[in-house]
Amino acid sequence: MNQTAQTEVVRLDGVAMRYATGPEVLRNIDFRLDAGSYHFLSGPSGAGKTSLLRLMYLAHRASSGTVRVFGHDIASSPRRSLPGLRRRIGVVFQDFRLLDHLSVRDNVALPLRIAGVDEPVIQSHVAELLNWVGLGNQLESKPTTLSDGEKQRVAIARAVIGRPSLLIADEPTARVDETQGVRILRLFEELNRIGTTVVVATHDQHLVDRFHHRVLRLEDGRITLERDGRAPALTREAGRVATPL
Amino acid sequence: MWQRRFDLPLGADGTTRFVPWLIAVMVYLAALALAAGMATADAASRWNAGLAGTATVEIAPASDRATTDERVGDALAILRATPGVIAATPISEAEVAELLAPWVTTGELPSELTLPRLIDVRFDPGTAVDLRTLGAKLSALIPGARLDDHGTWLQRLRALGTSVQIAAALVVALIAGASAATVIFATSAGLAIHREVIELMHWIGARDAYVARQFQSHAMSLALRGGVAGVLMGAATLAGFRALMGPSQGSLLPDVGLGPATWAALAILPLAAAGIATLTAKATVLRALRRLP
Repeated sequence: MNQTAQTEVVRLDGVAMRYATGPEVLRNIDFRLDAGSYHFLSGPSGAGKTSLLRLMYLAHRASSGTVRVFGHDIASSPRRSLPGLRRRIGVVFQDFRLLDHLSVRDNVALPLRIAGVDEPVIQSHVAELLNWVGLGNQLESKPTTLSDGEKQRVAIARAVIGRPSLLIADEPTARVDETQGVRILRLFEELNRIGTTVVVATHDQHLVDRFHHRVLRLEDGRITLERDGRAPALTREAGRVATPL
Repeated sequence: MWQRRFDLPLGADGTTRFVPWLIAVMVYLAALALAAGMATADAASRWNAGLAGTATVEIAPASDRATTDERVGDALAILRATPGVIAATPISEAEVAELLAPWVTTGELPSELTLPRLIDVRFDPGTAVDLRTLGAKLSALIPGARLDDHGTWLQRLRALGTSVQIAAALVVALIAGASAATVIFATSAGLAIHREVIELMHWIGARDAYVARQFQSHAMSLALRGGVAGVLMGAATLAGFRALMGPSQGSLLPDVGLGPATWAALAILPLAAAGIATLTAKATVLRALRRLP
């Protein structure tokens, strides 16, 4: 693996994707995520943001093109190697995907248990992380007793407990108020500062504009715009004249 | 293999509620089939050991007792002179009468009934004796003499014993197949019900074996519970049969008692059921998970 591959966390070249025999939901996708970057993936509902994230967290295969994650070409990687790659990716799902029969503690501990980490280490990390997201007093609560904001924070704790290199969040602010939403994105910035590559999918343009990070805009299954986050200037446009966001 | 906690709430859904009962019934039937097969094998072995290497010479009674005694003496002489015969012992009339007693309702034979005379012959297992020639010689030299080498009887008994054992083995195999099918159905239902949780575990890095172990442990636990219940029911039924047959069953009927070998076989059944359930659940889950990317 060369130096470029090591700094590229995700790279998609000419990628298309479809569900079963349906129409293509993503077409001609080309982009790369460098290590330590923070990207917003914006676009209207139905643009294909969740599908693109599914490709990145290896929940789906591309129907054509090349998907490389941590330098591995996913199409040619043996299936047995994928769990190891997935453990380097933390995912915050749009609908939280918490396990209602498990306590908050066990939900957050799940990735470490799956990875075979020793129980004392798990317990120590879980307590530390739940304190970080402000749920240190809810260890034994069941997800069904929590508010959406609290569920979101449990989901974030579960996503980051394995210290992932790549954190993917699908509409993490969709089910919380703006204050909570900003707080969640600030948490992601903290993780980004310690080297975690972050991708946040959102259709909330207002929130995107509040944070100066790179933006990939997706419309109708294509990336139409890529903006450098350091300034509201366009760095690349696909297929049409750029307009400032 | 045995996990302290389940990430999947397999015990909470209703799909596996009846699995222990189904396994219990199947293990119960397997226990009866196994006991029947073992009892038949044991009886066949005893019949074989009792009759192999022996023959009986039957001499029809002559018009007077002296002639009959003389013919018995001649037969004994021929037999004792035959290489390979290690013993030729006349069976007394009293013993013959005793053999016939169970078929006589009064318990005593009528005095006018003339009984054939019998000679018990034992052969050296290491020497081949031509029984056909010996029988022909006896019939030719002694009027009314006939050699019965029990071959036809033994052959039929062996065929019957083998048939019963094969049938018992087939029944046990069918029951094992039905148990596996039950586990496949329950596991498939569990996979469908918990699909979202399984997908989540898959996406956060669970290997297929990790997910499969959850189903394996659950299936093993259910099968063990059902298996133990089935074996206990089977043991009770066999004990009931034993009590019904009573101590006078003799050597003709198979002994369905709970001897050490039967106990050992019964003890293996729940373990076998658990093993089948575990392997079946594992194979079912791994096959289903291969469809995930």
